[in-house]
Amino acid sequence: MTDAPILLTTTVGSFGKPEYLQKARNQFAKGKISASELHELERKATTEWIRIQEEIGLDILVDGEMYRGDMVAYFADLLDGYKEGGLVRSYGNRYYHKPIIAGKISRPNPMTVDWFRYAQSLTDRPVKGMLTGPYTMLDWSFNEAYPTRRDAALALAEVIRQEAEDLEAAGAKYIQIDEPAIHARPEEIDIAIEAMGIVTQNLKAKTVSHICYGDFAAIYPRVLALPVDQLDLAMANYEYRWLDLFDKDPFTRELAIGIVDVHKHELESVDEAAEGIRKGLRYVSAERLYPHPDCGLKTRTVEETVAKCRVVVEAAKKVRAELRAKVPA
Amino acid sequence: MREVRSMKTTVIGAFPKISDEPGGQELRRAFHRLDRGEIDAGALDAVVEQVTRSAIAELEAAGIDVINDGQIRWDDAFSPFARSWEGVSRGPLERFYDNNTYFRQPVIEGPIRTGGRTLVHDYEVARATASRPVKAAVCGPLTFATLTAEDRAYGSLEERTLAVADVLADEIRGLGAAGATLVDVEEPALVALPQHVELAREAYLRLASAGVDLALQTYFFPADRILEFLASFPVAQVGIDVRSRDTTALRRLDAFRDKTLVLGVVDARNTRLESKAEVAALIEQALKLVPAERLWVAPTTGLEYLPHDVASKKLAVLVEASRAAVGVPA
Repeated sequence: MTDAPILLTTTVGSFGKPEYLQKARNQFAKGKISASELHELERKATTEWIRIQEEIGLDILVDGEMYRGDMVAYFADLLDGYKEGGLVRSYGNRYYHKPIIAGKISRPNPMTVDWFRYAQSLTDRPVKGMLTGPYTMLDWSFNEAYPTRRDAALALAEVIRQEAEDLEAAGAKYIQIDEPAIHARPEEIDIAIEAMGIVTQNLKAKTVSHICYGDFAAIYPRVLALPVDQLDLAMANYEYRWLDLFDKDPFTRELAIGIVDVHKHELESVDEAAEGIRKGLRYVSAERLYPHPDCGLKTRTVEETVAKCRVVVEAAKKVRAELRAKVPA
Repeated sequence: MREVRSMKTTVIGAFPKISDEPGGQELRRAFHRLDRGEIDAGALDAVVEQVTRSAIAELEAAGIDVINDGQIRWDDAFSPFARSWEGVSRGPLERFYDNNTYFRQPVIEGPIRTGGRTLVHDYEVARATASRPVKAAVCGPLTFATLTAEDRAYGSLEERTLAVADVLADEIRGLGAAGATLVDVEEPALVALPQHVELAREAYLRLASAGVDLALQTYFFPADRILEFLASFPVAQVGIDVRSRDTTALRRLDAFRDKTLVLGVVDARNTRLESKAEVAALIEQALKLVPAERLWVAPTTGLEYLPHDVASKKLAVLVEASRAAVGVPA
């Protein structure tokens, strides 16, 4: 039993884009390079990230999302029924094009499957399929077309289901469907649960959902009804306070636990991160606990990303060794 | 033509700071240049004032009767206060209610104090620019107190809310001295957390001590649970969203016997454009219970949640519908 995999390490999905790719994206936006030139550089960066993840020793990999800007706009651009909206401010001096649901949503073509195939072809380790969940797609869009928010969420669920099933058919063993907006309106959690049920109903792959930024306590324990195998939560940034909720209502899913904060530049120590894993082990067994950085790393530099991921892997090694020392061979 | 336009149009909260039009991103660029050290704070200030003048010109051209300054300088609902008040700093980012918009949570490090002139300069600039009446705005005491990340000075929510109200009263006094005759108090927390309505009313007694007419602006959530209670607040106006979510408020407006109602009748958080008839119907329903001289109409919240071009179209619908509802030819 000591051979069963424990404390498998992973990441939430996005990595920082190398400088040459950032430059190329700007040049593409100005019409100075072609789509195929940009695509080549995105493949190059993806390859580099797969190699880096292997070298760091992560167990479950991601493609790093070198080809995505925003996690909602990427899909909105590729779905029929959406149109691009004007700029709105998210905070400070940051603005984004908030997409508009202007008609009936449908998926003309797969959106992430080629990228998944490409990334998986580069490694023997499992690569996760990465999607944005229907409730978050709805909440971060303007809805002009559907009479209610539920109607729009369910329509989005249908196209995300198609994408998830295509990822599974392409060989994805893990499919992550992120819902960072799930607590935007706690009274609507049942809509998010119903929509996720549509996405995951036929999947045999392990399903994961990442949740961050907001009042997790407001949706706990109801969120345990979200039909996925694994919940992926930011914990370090919240000083592990969500774990206290599990005292009253036991956590019943696999837990991907965030043990390094991605929104600060300072690097946590391996000991500090290992202590986060030990905290998680009070509630979830090692077979069901997956250490990772709190959130996507796209706002960090390549160097910071690598350093944060290394801390996660080293912390997991350390705690694994402690656990194995306790079990007679 | 018979003068029947006693009903007024107004706006609340922030106006879009930039637009997708060519030349519409001066402010965004100025902040980037400030970050890179290419311009100084004075040059940024000039751009803020230029954008403020454009916002005012646009509101006036759209036909809005009582305008504000567009809150171009505001990063979020608390930033002007958290920057200028002694005892407060700006903490970590958090989501602002159910928006994909984030704010810096206030951190209270010690007793809060102000000289009461935080917004005076901006108000004076706006008044000097505008040809129509300009109202001022402050954040709501309950909203500030409930969204505070950390409080090392006050022992409870009650104490904190009342302390913030005292400081806001100083700001309102300062605005009054600068000529403001109406101040919006933006208070989404009151309808998000209606259980605190008694505490809020106590806080508003302190705000009212400044002696300037106040407009209590609620938004994001229905006011249904506390609607009649709001009639007892010491304010001249009460703002209610009757458009963006299901609400019984439109049938209960006769609860307000002397206050002016500011009804949110175009949805400032969705790009879907209302028809003139749809908005006029809402206004006509309100006019059955409230006389036109006590009715103002507005977007449901600040227009900054929309892209600039849509915000402009929403203003046009608001003005056209209000004219149609009171029988003025467009």
